[in-house]
Amino acid sequence: MKKELNFELNILPVLDILSVLICFLLLTAVWLQLGSIDTKQAIGDNSTAGQKNPPSLWVTLSKDGSVQLSLRDVPQSKNLEESVAKTSTGVNWTALEAKIQALRAQIPDLKTSIVRPEARASYGDVIRIMDQLKKNQFDGVGLSPLG
Amino acid sequence: MIKVSFISQRRSPLMQAMSLKKDNKKTKQGKELGLALPLTSLIDAFCIIVIYLLIGTQTTGVESKIPGQMSLPTAEHSQAIEKEIATLRIEKGNYFLNEKQVDRGSLSAKLSQLKKQASEAMELLVQADTQMEYADLDPLLRAGSEAGIEKLRFAVIPTK
Repeated sequence: MKKELNFELNILPVLDILSVLICFLLLTAVWLQLGSIDTKQAIGDNSTAGQKNPPSLWVTLSKDGSVQLSLRDVPQSKNLEESVAKTSTGVNWTALEAKIQALRAQIPDLKTSIVRPEARASYGDVIRIMDQLKKNQFDGVGLSPLG
Repeated sequence: MIKVSFISQRRSPLMQAMSLKKDNKKTKQGKELGLALPLTSLIDAFCIIVIYLLIGTQTTGVESKIPGQMSLPTAEHSQAIEKEIATLRIEKGNYFLNEKQVDRGSLSAKLSQLKKQASEAMELLVQADTQMEYADLDPLLRAGSEAGIEKLRFAVIPTK
């Protein structure tokens, strides 16, 4: 009997495996878009003596979630201190946002902010405060090291 | 002259299904199943999926690994990360600079070394868990300041 030289690749099982592989990879891979919040940090010992500091907002965050807002170097008004009391779940975000918005509307030059968290404050809260500041068009948002 | 044909006259159901000729009559054996998938269109679809995935992973720019148990903070107003930058991950008080563990004491030296190698203004991407205490971030701020890194970027998951 003459042996046939003709043969065909069996592609169907290969395709099956490929499709299973693709599904598996799609399901197991975590597709996550990553963003970042930028801060501009003071470096070294840049002397600012003699320079006029821009008006700035200092946000102090304590461990339990209460927030202290204080204005520095604002020419026309005296240095203001305000506090946002904590709620049972932590920081009172709505009150904080309202205060920041009000300050921003009151002083248009206020574009710099420094966040000063306490040692035990949560990193997530710090980032969220910085996010709120960015949302209210603060250009320079900095983080202060522990005192 | 003897004509040798290497191609058998008997055609498989696969070939029959794919060919346009109307010769898909049953063969002598009658055992072959007439079932065959239209492979060409399937392969086309696979090609498109593969190309889509390849392009999708390339154009989003930077690929970075985040440990499964780490939950990054979320933010509404975040910038996209376009280029590859040095990454510092903080896990339970341990620092990993570009996946290599660095102890707190030598963090500043390592960062300034990186800064010297960098061609342009150095930026650092910080990945840390939401639940972390600020005290764990503080050594990094100091080290960054000593090393002369002006721009710190905190990795977040955009909510919008």
